[in-house]
Amino acid sequence: MARRVPGLDRVLGKARLARRPSALTTKTLADSVVRLSPVSLLANPVMLIVELTFFIVAAMAAYPYAFVPFASPGERRFYAEVAVILLVTVWFSTLSDSLAEQQAKNTASSLKQLETEVPAKKVVTEGWERQIVRTESTKLQKGDLVLLEKGDVVPMDAEVLEGIAMVDESLVTGESVAVRKAPGDSLIGGSKVASDTMTARVAVNPGESYLDQMVRLVESSKRPKTPNEVAITMVLFGLSAVFTIIIASILGLSVTLGLSVDLSVLIALYVCLLPTTIGALLPAIGLSGISRLYERKVIAKSGRAIETAGDTDVILLDKTGTITVGNRQAVEMIPLDGKTEKEVGEAAFLSSWFDDTPEGRSVIRLGYEKGYVPRELNALTMSEVYDFSAQTRTSGVKLHFGASFVLPKGSVQRVRRKFYLEDASEQGMHLSGEETEIVKGAPDSFLKSGFKAPQGFRELVDKIASEGDTPMAVARDHEVIGLVRLKDVLKPGTREKIEAVRSMGIRPVMITGDQPLTAKSIASEVGIDEFVAQVRPEDKYSIVLKEQSQNHIVAMIGDGTNDAPALAAADVGLSMNSGTEAAKEAANMVDLESNPAKIIDVVLLGKQLLMTRGAVTAFSISNDVAKYFAILPVMFATAFPALRSLNILGLDLQTAVLSALIFNAVVIPMLIPLAMRGVTFKPSSTMSLFLRNVLIYGVGGVIVPFIGIKLIDLLLGVL
Amino acid sequence: MSSKASRWKTYRPVIALSILSMLVCGLAYPLLITGVSQAAFPYQANGSQVQLGGRAVGSYYIDNGFTLPIFFHGRNETNPFTASASGVDPDITLSDALSQIPRISNATGIPASSLDALVVAHEHWTLWITGDPYVNVLELNLALIAAYPSSYPGYA
Amino acid sequence: MIDAIQALVVVAILASALISGSLLAPYVVRVLTGAPTRLDRLLDPVEKRVYRLIGADPTITMGWKQYFFAALLLNVAQMAIAFAILVGQGVLPLNPQGFPGLSWDLALNTVVSFATNTNLQHYAGEATLSYFSQMTAIQFLQFTSATTGVCVMAAMIRGFKPGSVHMGNFYVDFVRVLTRLLLPLCILAALVFVALGVPQTIGGYVTVKTVEGATQTLLVGPVASLVAIMQIGTNGGGYFGANSAYPFQNPNPATDVLQIYLMLLIPTTLIFVFGEMIGKKKETRPILIGSYALLAIDMVIAFLGSIPVVGPGIETRFGGFFSTFWTVITTAVTTGSVNASLSAINPLGILSAFMGMLIQATPGGKGVGVMYMIMYIVITVFVVGLMTGRTPEYLGAKINARDVKLVMVAFLVHPIAILVPTIAAYATKAVDAIPGFSSLPTSVGFTQVLYEFASSAANNGSDFFGAAANTPFFNFATAAVIFVGRYVPIAILLALAGSMIGRKRVAEQSLRTDGAAFSFVLVGSILLLVVLTFLPFLMLGPLLTYFQGMVNFFG
Repeated sequence: MARRVPGLDRVLGKARLARRPSALTTKTLADSVVRLSPVSLLANPVMLIVELTFFIVAAMAAYPYAFVPFASPGERRFYAEVAVILLVTVWFSTLSDSLAEQQAKNTASSLKQLETEVPAKKVVTEGWERQIVRTESTKLQKGDLVLLEKGDVVPMDAEVLEGIAMVDESLVTGESVAVRKAPGDSLIGGSKVASDTMTARVAVNPGESYLDQMVRLVESSKRPKTPNEVAITMVLFGLSAVFTIIIASILGLSVTLGLSVDLSVLIALYVCLLPTTIGALLPAIGLSGISRLYERKVIAKSGRAIETAGDTDVILLDKTGTITVGNRQAVEMIPLDGKTEKEVGEAAFLSSWFDDTPEGRSVIRLGYEKGYVPRELNALTMSEVYDFSAQTRTSGVKLHFGASFVLPKGSVQRVRRKFYLEDASEQGMHLSGEETEIVKGAPDSFLKSGFKAPQGFRELVDKIASEGDTPMAVARDHEVIGLVRLKDVLKPGTREKIEAVRSMGIRPVMITGDQPLTAKSIASEVGIDEFVAQVRPEDKYSIVLKEQSQNHIVAMIGDGTNDAPALAAADVGLSMNSGTEAAKEAANMVDLESNPAKIIDVVLLGKQLLMTRGAVTAFSISNDVAKYFAILPVMFATAFPALRSLNILGLDLQTAVLSALIFNAVVIPMLIPLAMRGVTFKPSSTMSLFLRNVLIYGVGGVIVPFIGIKLIDLLLGVL
Repeated sequence: MSSKASRWKTYRPVIALSILSMLVCGLAYPLLITGVSQAAFPYQANGSQVQLGGRAVGSYYIDNGFTLPIFFHGRNETNPFTASASGVDPDITLSDALSQIPRISNATGIPASSLDALVVAHEHWTLWITGDPYVNVLELNLALIAAYPSSYPGYA
Repeated sequence: MIDAIQALVVVAILASALISGSLLAPYVVRVLTGAPTRLDRLLDPVEKRVYRLIGADPTITMGWKQYFFAALLLNVAQMAIAFAILVGQGVLPLNPQGFPGLSWDLALNTVVSFATNTNLQHYAGEATLSYFSQMTAIQFLQFTSATTGVCVMAAMIRGFKPGSVHMGNFYVDFVRVLTRLLLPLCILAALVFVALGVPQTIGGYVTVKTVEGATQTLLVGPVASLVAIMQIGTNGGGYFGANSAYPFQNPNPATDVLQIYLMLLIPTTLIFVFGEMIGKKKETRPILIGSYALLAIDMVIAFLGSIPVVGPGIETRFGGFFSTFWTVITTAVTTGSVNASLSAINPLGILSAFMGMLIQATPGGKGVGVMYMIMYIVITVFVVGLMTGRTPEYLGAKINARDVKLVMVAFLVHPIAILVPTIAAYATKAVDAIPGFSSLPTSVGFTQVLYEFASSAANNGSDFFGAAANTPFFNFATAAVIFVGRYVPIAILLALAGSMIGRKRVAEQSLRTDGAAFSFVLVGSILLLVVLTFLPFLMLGPLLTYFQGMVNFFG
């Protein structure tokens, strides 16, 4: 039995941005009226045609005699009614444009409010002299150096050159904790320096920042059409051409066969047949797709990127940050061969004392909880620190006994910060006496370096790994004495998301630096079949190429400079905002929240966008059947009463025309919410999605207008 | 010179193949079929000609144009409104044939019941064993002449 | 309505076409891919000599433009030869009846019509064409047009085939299809037709004294050889003006059933060829289910109407059932032969015939039926495929804006080519030149004119008018419509296939096109497209005739 997959909304979770103000304002309404001008409708030919037909019918109402024999002067009122509905149809279309654009702008500006003019301290170098010039953010150019001190607002997107500082990006990302920024890291314009001082190089010219790019994307006039939009436009052109030929032919036959068809009726039929629904909503659908990404604080550099996201069939997921929360936690100390748990615990504690990584801190925490705080703690001040080395993949300390000091009151954290090796030597303490060396790290590296390992060591390592955990070996004086079990913590909700993408036929591939046994166990825990283990960041590029060579469309995430080639090669590259400038440059989307798991959201949102477009197109085309049956039989019945048998809706000529036209018009605003929100769907196999949508929007599109037109007809009868 | 040569290279297959295909499809093929058919199926190949008294009187498949009251008539002669698509339909429906029996019986003196039996004996169907029943007029009239030579002097 | 036994006959004939089609397909694929066949020992040396003789290098491969223009030029050259023969038949041999040459507008109409597999006939063959013309103009073009259809389809399939790098060599395809498929089949079928009673002679018309002593001319000639290729090649142009209603062309129910079967045989085979050649047998499914489901719908519509009784326009030996059945099949495969007068068919039968011609893929004409079906698949995949949330693919290739543009232009050809001349025929009063036209009810007359151009555009060839439309307007107008209706879509669809070459193919298609689900959506979308385009005109034609309570089109 297949597992139940939750709906899209559950999978995606709530949008991260606060509910935006309603887009329906006086300003939007005014804008939609301005857009009625034929010049601004040039971009939307279908609607331009409708407006032209409005002018013709309006002229018929004003000067009916000029149109005889295609008009009856007694029907001026009817012509006026038709003309009004035609104009309203166009207005509904411009309104949906205005609404979608306003909505996108609102979303964008709630992200962009930070990028107002801010003062900047530009660093000018003349010879050896460094001078600070006070200026404005808008006057900065790419490559300029700026000084950032505590309290300053970062004037533009920039890259740190010198200094380390804490930066508050909460305005941009909503993350309230300040982020540490070191040389090479990138800064987002609008974030605030919380501590310390640094120098940064401006990374963009004014108007080129991501936020600027984003805002440009939502101005529909400047937004380039995406490949799919162009293709749909071709369908709309083709259909419009077909219907133009049909209507012209009926007009021709009206003369030659004596059908005595009224021009306004023919025009009404024409407008009903034209793909007005999709024509009106196509721009809005595209914009809303972008808005939905913004709401989740993902910036796409182009609309095309969002479409490609929908096309993805392989997602490369970094284990850390996507599947697991990123910090492995020590959960167990396991003594080896004759040692006690306490011995292992204390040794682990000591070796982790200077380890600033989450893993290191979790070892200290576990030590405290278990009461394994070692006697030798004070000796740490006299220790020599072995920083983590990528070669040996170990770190540790060498303790020198003989000197001692008393732990000051306060948290362990504070102690750790205060007493560095350098501090100790500066205080004139000398290292002498007994020595012991405690090292921790990857088990296999110990074996390689020729450490003594007791019986059962390797089996235990494999056992822990195969349970999905990471074994960390602890050695004292070149002898492995025990293992620490580090447990990966799964990110909540990830399993569901992976289930969702898998059910849609997308293949998630987990990428991790872990050894294969650990990788396999974690992958299977979240339902992933494929993983690539022991990956170095630079390997990602070849993984992307390999998948692409097998004709897959690959989405991936990245943050480091190492990731840039892979991000650039991938079909969809999502860069973390916290990542390097190079990574952001190479990616086609940036996540302001730097949450790698967003890649899945991005893919699902891309799918939703494509689906919405297809659904409205199918609905729009299917609608025509009912409109034909509403208007054609009564239109021809004037000349050939026998065709009344086909008038299955039982309409009169004028109400048939008005009902069909009204239906044709009101279906646009009724579908605006669908266009803006996107079709809701439950992630499931493509074929079942396909059948479901064909049933709802295709078959439904045939049936609904029959009912709608009849209802409007009844309503008109009452009025 | 060279452009002329290359143009010839382009057009030569077109011209040569169209002539060749005409010779093969338009002459060799139908003449081959004609030769084989004349040898193997001379009766059918020459129009399924029916003999009466040693001479060809028509084709089994073409309406023979009977107009005398002593014969069954084809549909193309009796009433132009019911004319067939081909205008030479050799068959009439069974009911059409049966409706002509009183006239023939009158003209020849052959009992209606005998004519009835004769018609039924020469029944065909559009679906071989079922479908719409019909009779071939020439076949039926020749059977009539053979069965009642005395009623048809000068024909046998 | 038809009875159970008649329904059984329908099913049996369709089933035998399907079974033999699936059995013949692997052989056709071998012919098209140059794989060894049993005829190699006989034909290989001949073929080699042919290539040397015509100066074509069989190893050269072509792109879509080269392929298309080779086909077009060859067809035009063949038209020229046939044109010269028809105009000059008076001085050419094998003309025992001494027929004079054709007027040049009729000759033009005839060669364009036959070289394009249309076979619209504005003449009655038995009273117009010499034996020589029947063979070297008519049968010749019937072979080459059918061969050309199979060739361009093969080229299109090669373009769509994942990983392919070229469209093949037109001359090689042409020679192989002609010599290894159509000629052997036709030789076989022609001899069976002779055995069943179809004449085959060049000895001149036979004059006899009938039983009652009147003089009668038996219009014998090389008929069987023509009937074989006209049905196998879905050409439809008959030896006689009355086509397969004439007893010498279709003497009995056995030949009738055989002809219906032969019309269906190659179009059905080519559907199976598609899947085999593309390398994914399952991809035959949407085309197969699509075309046969649409054919079934056509059939139901036709048989819902009244089945004509033997009367005007209906041959006694076929009856109303076989006449209606034939009308559906002949338009469904765009053959255009008839075994009854179209005027005798009920309005719903004619509506069904229109659907066959307007869809052109039920299963459609030789080769082009499959091509049109691919066109429908591409447009359907694009519109409904988006609803799976991914840019739609067909055979792994993403459908891009240019593909959609090409398909839409190909789709536009039909309404323009049918509707514009229909209105022109009325506007220029050209219809009044047709005897008796002005006295017809509007619905009947309009049906007949619309049918004339629909049949031309679809390269079908059946019509209501026959020799009555031998007027300069109808000769030129239908020739133009036929030409456009044939070569423009072929060019566009080959361009589409050409653009598929070298295109990246995705590993796994999001929307599977090889299942029943897609096939039925395809049927729906084809019906929707055709209804949307032609409903108003069908309403004024056959539907109006039907609702006015008429049972046929005699007016």
